Amino acid sequence: MSKFVLQKKLEGYKKELHSSSDVASRILEKQGVKIGFVYLKSMTDQELFSNAIYQAIQNYKEKVDMTSLQDKIIRGNDVKEIKEEEVVENILKGSIIIMIEGEKKILAVDLLKFPTRTPSEPPTSPVIQGPREGFVEDIKTNITLLRRRLHSKDLVFKSLNIGKYSNTQVMVSYIEGIADKKIVDDVIKKLKKIDIGGVVDSYYILSFLQRRPDSLFKQVGNTEKPDIVAAKMLEGRVAIIVDNSPIVLTVPFVLLEEMQSSNDYYTNHHYSSFVRIIRLLGLLVAILSPGLYLALELHHYNVLPLNFLITIADTTQGLPFTPFIEILFIFILFQMLYEVSLRLPSYLGLATSVVGALILGDTGVKAGLISPPGVIVVALAKIALYTIPEQSAQISILQVIFIVIGGTLGLAGIVTGLVYFTNYLNGLDSFNTPYLAPYSPRIPNDLKDGIFKSSVTEMKTRPKSIKNTNKVRLK
Amino acid sequence: MKKSISLRQTGMLIVMMILANKILLLPSLLYKTVKTDGVFVVMTLFLIDLLVFGVFIKLKLAYPDKKLAEILEENLGKIAAKLIFSILLVFFMFKVFLTFSIAFMYLKQQVYQNEFAVIAIICVLPVINHAVICGLRSFSRTIELFYYLVVGLFILCLMIALGSFKQTPTYFVSQPGDFGMALVKNVFSFGDYLFLFLVIDRIEIEKKDVKKVFKYIFLGIALVVALFFIYYSIYETTAFMHNYAIADILTITVEFNAIGRLDIVAMVTIMLLSLFQMEIFQYGFCECFVGIFKKLNKVFAIAVFDVLFLVVYYILVGRYETMVMYVETWLPYFAMVANYLLAIVFFGISFKKSGKNRSKSSENTLIFTKSDQMLENEGEEQNSLPQELLESLKETFEQEEPQKNMIKSSIKTKKAKKQPKLLQGGQNEIS
Repeated sequence: MSKFVLQKKLEGYKKELHSSSDVASRILEKQGVKIGFVYLKSMTDQELFSNAIYQAIQNYKEKVDMTSLQDKIIRGNDVKEIKEEEVVENILKGSIIIMIEGEKKILAVDLLKFPTRTPSEPPTSPVIQGPREGFVEDIKTNITLLRRRLHSKDLVFKSLNIGKYSNTQVMVSYIEGIADKKIVDDVIKKLKKIDIGGVVDSYYILSFLQRRPDSLFKQVGNTEKPDIVAAKMLEGRVAIIVDNSPIVLTVPFVLLEEMQSSNDYYTNHHYSSFVRIIRLLGLLVAILSPGLYLALELHHYNVLPLNFLITIADTTQGLPFTPFIEILFIFILFQMLYEVSLRLPSYLGLATSVVGALILGDTGVKAGLISPPGVIVVALAKIALYTIPEQSAQISILQVIFIVIGGTLGLAGIVTGLVYFTNYLNGLDSFNTPYLAPYSPRIPNDLKDGIFKSSVTEMKTRPKSIKNTNKVRLK
Repeated sequence: MKKSISLRQTGMLIVMMILANKILLLPSLLYKTVKTDGVFVVMTLFLIDLLVFGVFIKLKLAYPDKKLAEILEENLGKIAAKLIFSILLVFFMFKVFLTFSIAFMYLKQQVYQNEFAVIAIICVLPVINHAVICGLRSFSRTIELFYYLVVGLFILCLMIALGSFKQTPTYFVSQPGDFGMALVKNVFSFGDYLFLFLVIDRIEIEKKDVKKVFKYIFLGIALVVALFFIYYSIYETTAFMHNYAIADILTITVEFNAIGRLDIVAMVTIMLLSLFQMEIFQYGFCECFVGIFKKLNKVFAIAVFDVLFLVVYYILVGRYETMVMYVETWLPYFAMVANYLLAIVFFGISFKKSGKNRSKSSENTLIFTKSDQMLENEGEEQNSLPQELLESLKETFEQEEPQKNMIKSSIKTKKAKKQPKLLQGGQNEIS
């Protein structure tokens, strides 16, 4: 390979990468040997390149060849020999490609460097006690976080690349000997089938893992906490880690998982049971209270206690809107405030919330546009919503549905709506695990970690609702 | 994959079916004929229904994995099978209509107090259609989830009503003729176990588990009987005026100051029970429809049901007199055919099957006995066989002891049948 050929080759690679401005190439000539480098400036550690490779070659006293480069000069770095057709792929992965004039061998040195954040407590699942680490965007760090919790030879990571343009690395992780092989194969099969332009976040592949992708209810678990993923894998679940995403997916998934919080496992189990009951109540209040209030006010006022009825009658007298429009109006107002507080910077968001909730609400009541019971009911539903923050999106939609049903059809509508959605949820399953297990169907063994949580010493077997190959958890 | 339901879910389905259409109109209808002895009419009909359940168990044990259509076609032929499915189809259809009409009248008169038709249809049709599409397992699981709520609410209703308990009414006041007439006239409210025959292949039940189902059945019966007792005790002489028993026993206890009117408990119970009952029987209708018209699917069956539902709605629903006329004139006789005649047919089939099994068993035992005797060199016939052949056969059987055991234990299998026959044949040839 003459210098001209080497130059041409490097140019060829640059061209293949559409002469992108962050593609760099260099030729170093030492003792008559011409060494070519090509790499992405944006993805490689240039300081390390300069010190550990470029300087090291220049300081090397003898004649440089591929063997000496690999064995003596750039030792300690992740060096591997690659084929010519793998050059572009390795450049994109943050490697520096090294070629020597007249030699066929090509070396790739992994000097990948990009800005990463250190594991910190995820904002979506803070804990009072227990580990505070959360996943980050770097897949290698995430694997390390899991490896730190499961020092086992049986912890397996299977790598896949998904996305025509993003070529995102996806890891399927499970514990050999616990996870059901069929589920693992099924997950890998489903992932391999994905033919998408790019996977920017794990949510991009979530729908592909669901049996009913268009469903309102998610059928795949997601968390930002490595301790939760490790615990789920110990129950036989399979984790899917996606590069550039701090959210790890887990399957199979049951609705009960949303009632469980990592806090429950780091505190007294009696208290955990109590909190779980509160969460269940919160869920019911969040979904049903506005609709139920409307149903009682519009259709079945005669079943309300007399004093309560008088209060409602007093406060709703003279309102310009019907109760249905009123509740819908307050609901939309609250939802707007929520969206605003999410999107604005925190200092502005707080101010907007105060202005919105206090001033708008209070003024609205004083102006006679909305009634205090209406505000209380919707506010209660909105607060209760965040007893299960992971399901807030789904519950918000259910709230609207039940407001419409309660307002138009009354209590009969609420009851039939409940039965309808329960039927629907019972028709869902995640990798052959019933969605409402262990309550419907009832699986007594799994109730130990249900709404009423037992002590860890009593949970001697793994959940039966999730297929696994090792039933014994505690001997 | 066959989506079967568990024993527990079956028990809960039964409780829902037992409760649903016996807790509103039936107590007052019975009172009109036999006064307070209505409670004994109900107990008698429950007892007869238990026999039907017994037939179901017998048929299930005789045909553990077969569909009802297969059982009927195998034993009675295709035409008879279709005829039976047609009877069941009409039975289930009217069961849904009756449940809907009673719940409709209750909600219209007691709860909504205005034009309620559209609300009722919107509430009911999409939900029961969706349940049928979701399938037996889905709605059985839903019933499993709501079971404790429904039973709890029902018991709560009874407990609240106990507060209004006046005195134990006088029983045994009716004439035997009236009692018999009441039995005949109210058969249509029973016959719930017929649904189980339709899904016989999807119920996971074994002989040793039958007792567990009875726990659910007796609970259902106990709740209904308790309701009758309480209802007749509260409205001893005016019971005929109160058409919605479970709700009416609470109306006296209205206004618990801090809570409000407690008839909301009955309201929710009635809604849930009626809805589950309609889901179950519409599913039964669709199963029958697909059983008759095998080329059509369940969605088509649902569409047909919906059309029929809307047509019958204008004739039957919301008109108390019309409904009572139907319930008391031809429906009881039809129900007797559907419930009891079909039960007799199913019993015959199961009896035939168990008879066959018995005869097969005795036939094989005979063959084995002969073979064994032959091998033991006993009897005249065996003595006439060449000694060498007998010895060789004996050796073969002794060496193949496991095989022999297998043959002994699995008389049902063809292999077991063939081997001794071959031996017997060989013996005859030799003879």
